[in-house]
Amino acid sequence: MKKRLGIISLFTLLFVVFIAIWDYSYRTGLECAATPEGGDDYVPMVMSSEKGVFRRDRYALDYARMPIDENHQRSLKDYYKNRAFPGAPPSIPHPVSDARSMGGKDCLQCHENGGFVAKWDAYAPVTPHPELLSCRQCHVVQKVRALFRATNFKKIPAPAVGAGANSALRGSPPGIPHRIQMRENCSACHAGPSAPREIRTSHPQRINCMQCHVPNKKLAADIGGF
Amino acid sequence: MYNSSTDRRNFMKKMAAVSAMTAAIALFPDILFSAEPEKLLSESKGLDWKRSPCRFCGVGCSLLIGIENGRAVAVRGDPKSPVNRGLCCVKGYHSVLSMYAADRLTKPLVKKNGEYVETSMAEALDRIAFKMKQTIETHGKDAVSIYGSGQWTIPDGYVASKLFKGCIGTNNIECNARLCMATAVTGFLTSFGLDEPMGCYEDIDHADVFVLWGNNMAEMHPVLFSRLLDQRLRRGVTIIDFATRTTRTSMAADKSILFKPQTDLAVANAICYEIVKNNWVNEVFVDRYCNFRKGLTQMGYGLEDHYRFTDKAEKIDFEAYKKFLANYTPEKVAKLSGVSAKDIEYMAALYGDPNKRVMSFWCMGMNQHTRGTWIQNLVYNIHLLTGKISAPGNSPFSLTGQPSACGTTREVGTFTHRLPHGVVTDEGDRALAAKIWNVPVENISPQPTYHAVEMFRALDRGDIRFMWIQVTNPMVTMPKLKRYRNGSEKTGRFIVVSDIYPTPTTDVADVILPAAMWIEREGMYGNSERRTQYFQQMVEPPGEAMSDTWQLIEVARRLGFKKQFYYEKETHIEEIYAEYRRHHDNEQHNMAPLHILRSQPGAMWPYVGGKSTKWRYNSKYDPACTNGEAFHFYGKPDGKAIIWQRPYEPPPESPDEAYPYWLCTGRVLEHWHSGSMTRRIPILHRAMPHGYVELNIADAKRLQIQTGDKVKLTSRRGEIILPAAVNQRGLPAPMQVFVPFFDENMLINELTLDAFDPISKQPDYKKCAVSVEKV
Repeated sequence: MKKRLGIISLFTLLFVVFIAIWDYSYRTGLECAATPEGGDDYVPMVMSSEKGVFRRDRYALDYARMPIDENHQRSLKDYYKNRAFPGAPPSIPHPVSDARSMGGKDCLQCHENGGFVAKWDAYAPVTPHPELLSCRQCHVVQKVRALFRATNFKKIPAPAVGAGANSALRGSPPGIPHRIQMRENCSACHAGPSAPREIRTSHPQRINCMQCHVPNKKLAADIGGF
Repeated sequence: MYNSSTDRRNFMKKMAAVSAMTAAIALFPDILFSAEPEKLLSESKGLDWKRSPCRFCGVGCSLLIGIENGRAVAVRGDPKSPVNRGLCCVKGYHSVLSMYAADRLTKPLVKKNGEYVETSMAEALDRIAFKMKQTIETHGKDAVSIYGSGQWTIPDGYVASKLFKGCIGTNNIECNARLCMATAVTGFLTSFGLDEPMGCYEDIDHADVFVLWGNNMAEMHPVLFSRLLDQRLRRGVTIIDFATRTTRTSMAADKSILFKPQTDLAVANAICYEIVKNNWVNEVFVDRYCNFRKGLTQMGYGLEDHYRFTDKAEKIDFEAYKKFLANYTPEKVAKLSGVSAKDIEYMAALYGDPNKRVMSFWCMGMNQHTRGTWIQNLVYNIHLLTGKISAPGNSPFSLTGQPSACGTTREVGTFTHRLPHGVVTDEGDRALAAKIWNVPVENISPQPTYHAVEMFRALDRGDIRFMWIQVTNPMVTMPKLKRYRNGSEKTGRFIVVSDIYPTPTTDVADVILPAAMWIEREGMYGNSERRTQYFQQMVEPPGEAMSDTWQLIEVARRLGFKKQFYYEKETHIEEIYAEYRRHHDNEQHNMAPLHILRSQPGAMWPYVGGKSTKWRYNSKYDPACTNGEAFHFYGKPDGKAIIWQRPYEPPPESPDEAYPYWLCTGRVLEHWHSGSMTRRIPILHRAMPHGYVELNIADAKRLQIQTGDKVKLTSRRGEIILPAAVNQRGLPAPMQVFVPFFDENMLINELTLDAFDPISKQPDYKKCAVSVEKV
């Protein structure tokens, strides 16, 4: 009898403890979700790795096979015309129908993968960073030509391109003469029909661009020592 | 002789390279080898990248600025910055162009017989000092004043405060942050006892829901909004745009909810009503960490000169507060606010869900509000009732509009009632300031004088005779502008303006001083998340342009305060910052030392034990918590935050038969503040060349107005003709119009009302009544 009472009271006790624990965990569940530890590490908004280079791989063979459309080539002059300095976000050279849209899907319709736009008689340039959806945060339409006040800002010359300009040896693969922040995907600007003709690669199918083309020594971070 | 191993290794390397080269040339005689291949690679040839916070808004993006031959030529985002993570907005990328417009002021100009005459800096500074002395002698020290700005660097604001409060002995120091952030300050002080947000931008990475209270973040804080969008891509967060007007933010949000102007007060109370009704209250949190208070009501709107108001807190309990909330059922509030009861319940459910972390954002919508302190209290109430505060992702967050609204005006305290630490009315605070400033404590007056609007009224009345305006453009930004412009042009007033370009404010000046801006000098800014960021001088200022800090030091010395203004020219910024840090030498507000600021993209105060504090009042993160509990609101004597009972009250001026439309004013993505810098940046001006009035489609149709048509707006204070913009950048609700204020040729502030929040004294630029007609 005593033994049975003991077992019963043990189970009762366990049950009570179970209820108490369950109640506690239920209540904590109702409170705010667990708070993460604050660390200094974070994922940068702009790509920091070089993996962006492979982003548009699946078009590489198409680009290689595509004949060059001589009549609708962009030139580097056009490319730099819309930039306040080499590396600046380009302005939008065409009217945009919806003033309230931030871009996103509207812009990406044409600028994610490019293609010929009959209306503008041109190939749409491809964005190297389609994950940044608030396009018009950086890219703005130019409505007028006149200035509010004249400016003395001096635009520095763009990096020289062409045979030998960025090559260490004659005929060696040219180095990358610009920073790749926001522009990790080489093929966005260097491959396909919208690529400016001076910087269009002859071998888009090679994909792993940075295997042969390396950033300028000065642009890469110096780790010092050694 | 002894060579170190590195030298030997270098020598060997060079020898190897030379011999390899020689061999190579011998082997391939027709191939040219370059000894220094990097010389050929050109984008950054000679470009030196230096770090600085952005010149424009309060987000405080860290920029890397490319310098070549002493000129700033390029900008990119700093990938190491925890603020912008490598991204900028169009203003930031082109910010350096703002230094190079052709009409830069390079020489001091002094008005003689109605004509501006070029003079030397020394002569102009002499004249200013002479005029100040003369004014103090004839009209008393409270007749001289300085009006600065949230664009002042920390040293600018600090020396201004030291000169006026400590040395001259007048509390006549105010700044445009009174028009911008004063309500945020009183909101924090009334609810928590200490200024500035408890959380930080990292909250964005943890929150599940974002509620934007009258904040067009996509245009005004674009880089932070991109962080929201980035989180939505990664984690599927919810963004609610709660506003009076449809904007880009509304288009991007998961839900856009429109409310009638001023009724945010009622909606916030209705959300609290729902939270209480549905038992979503975090009772442990409220019980341990909150008190209930009610304040005075029917405060008025400050429309008359000499208006004074001091709030009185009265203790109440939770039951009384619940009784008060009973008036704010969603059904009742729906009628008043135009927000459906369902939407109110939806927002309450998001705040109330214990498994969702919620961030509230706001800026001018809640700050420029005649009941602005109240609405901030009410939003804090929501977070306090649910315990969603001071923890990662749970964060009511007040955004700022100027690069150093927090760092300079709020932390250095360049307001009439403030000192770098504390307030002028407190004896202990005065003693501390006097000690550090090396002045007799009697010098610091215990009486606050004029807040910004009243300061300009005093100038108009003649109580103030001398005003020095630095880094701001009040003749574009003051509400009810005509009165204050006429006042500043009256005879017997002496106005000094330090600026970089001619503006409507330099037009009323007696002396114009050319200023060295931003990276033409050394300084620090403090952004919205308590982050202090340093920038070095990167380029030379043009002509005789001089930093605001040094202008003030020069005048202070001429006034005889050489002992207090002992700084060396080469090291004055370092010396001033070191002196300033002494005011905040405590665990609740310690500032990071300069060598830390120089080495990284800023640090957040309180900076204790070599670490920034990300979440204040939470004992897990904040070393200033001392009560042994999870949370400690140490700004209040008993460590408890306050849940305020604040009712809905109508605005001072509502549309009526004569003036049937609401007028709201604000900014656009491309332009910043009064546009004096951004309009001189070609890409920005070309994108947004002039002001306009936004109309609702139905109103435009009825009035037969199309985009581009000329429209006349009239208020009780003035009238203006603007081109119409129908269904363009923003779409106001029916019977409302919106006008951006950046265009100095279309001064919308001639129409706005100078009513202000009685607690913060900040004017309401978002609500007044106008009539609209096609011309």
